[in-house]
Amino acid sequence: MVEVKNLSKTFDGHTEVLKNIDLNVKKNDVVAILGPSGTGKSTLLRCLNYLCEPTTGTIRIGDVTVDAAHHTKQEVRNLRRKSAMVFQGYNLFKNKTAKENVMEALVTVQKKSKAEAEETAIRLLDKVGMLDRKDFYPSKMSGGQQQRVGIARALAVNPDVLLFDEPTSALDPELVGEVLNTIRQLAEEDSTMILVTHEIRFARHVANRIIFMDGGVIAADGSPEEIIDNPENPRLRQFLNFVSK
Amino acid sequence: MTLFTWEYFAEVFPLILSKLDVTLTLTVIASFFSLVIGVIFALIGYYKIKGLNLILKVWSSFMRGTPAATQVFFFYYGLANFSSIILNMSPTVAVAVIMSLNMSAFVGESIRGALMSVDNGQREAAMSLGMSGFQMTTRVILPQAVRVALPPLFNDIINLFKMSSLAFLVGVRDVMGIAKIEGANSFKFFECYACVMLIYWVITMCLTYVQKHLEKRFNAIY
Repeated sequence: MVEVKNLSKTFDGHTEVLKNIDLNVKKNDVVAILGPSGTGKSTLLRCLNYLCEPTTGTIRIGDVTVDAAHHTKQEVRNLRRKSAMVFQGYNLFKNKTAKENVMEALVTVQKKSKAEAEETAIRLLDKVGMLDRKDFYPSKMSGGQQQRVGIARALAVNPDVLLFDEPTSALDPELVGEVLNTIRQLAEEDSTMILVTHEIRFARHVANRIIFMDGGVIAADGSPEEIIDNPENPRLRQFLNFVSK
Repeated sequence: MTLFTWEYFAEVFPLILSKLDVTLTLTVIASFFSLVIGVIFALIGYYKIKGLNLILKVWSSFMRGTPAATQVFFFYYGLANFSSIILNMSPTVAVAVIMSLNMSAFVGESIRGALMSVDNGQREAAMSLGMSGFQMTTRVILPQAVRVALPPLFNDIINLFKMSSLAFLVGVRDVMGIAKIEGANSFKFFECYACVMLIYWVITMCLTYVQKHLEKRFNAIY
């Protein structure tokens, strides 16, 4: 479903954030990416839909392949249409209501009729428990509510893979639960997801595969049991010790 | 000699007020053109279009760094030596041209600032959904920028309204021009210019009221 080859990213010509990453994600996989800050987790995720342009490497999602060495605007747009991103800061369109946020890409990118887009929006807002807020602007919603609308907006484009970039990091502690529950529900419905998170316990339960990144490379990769319950990599052990304290 | 003659004030006020249409016409025309040119300037600056951006920066610095009165003289009397179009131009048109050019530099900065103020996350969200640059600009960036741009733009319009008084320099009979002529005839400068001050003040207050009202409405939406 997702195939990353030789992906590297260098900022300003010398700061190497990602070093030759190879990664395959199968359909219905729920992959959690863990690791200390500054190790390239978010950069990797953002490279997957070219919000961050990789320095080298190819990315394939579904039937679209983009090579960093030579890519066109149209290829990048096609790649982006294959995935959908849920942001740390929600990034809902501030000038649009919850319903309009979910409808936007259906109307502008997928050229669906307004009626059809509205039907999808209503269905998805209901799914994330935000139907009663459908006509609210983001400024009138709590962080948790905004993030649930953000998830509905990502689901609307029916992506091959859902990308979550620390979806609960900006939330007040008491609002984290509602968002995690929504994500858990999606995971149980066999969506393909890659999520960067700091919620180790949540990752342990929801993901069927965990990747530990350290210093711009994938340092460990395996099932939750292997990675979290029986960590072998010393850096990973150190990290888990720190986090669980 | 009395300090202030109410009779004369009452007599000259309607005469001066009758030239308000000239002042307002200048303001409206210059507002329109400075807005159109300003939007183009802002987009060039915002997207950092190569070549044009540098020319624009110099032009903007030049327009903002020289007095409007000097620009009027330079254009109408100075450049007229080289261009028969300017030579045959009516003074009203010449002033409108300078007002538009001058204010477009300020309007461009106001709009560019508003575009820059739109949070980068909004762009990322639009791009991540596969929207085109045009869709992103027209459906997300511009609608949000308008709200931020409104207060400075309205200030620019108020400045244009006051700037229109420079028209008298090239002999246009606007509110200011007619007051100067009447004052020179009657030697009652105090009454004449008091009229002018009053008219500008009242109109500016009306514009400010509209500005506040518009801001409130725009802010209430979301």
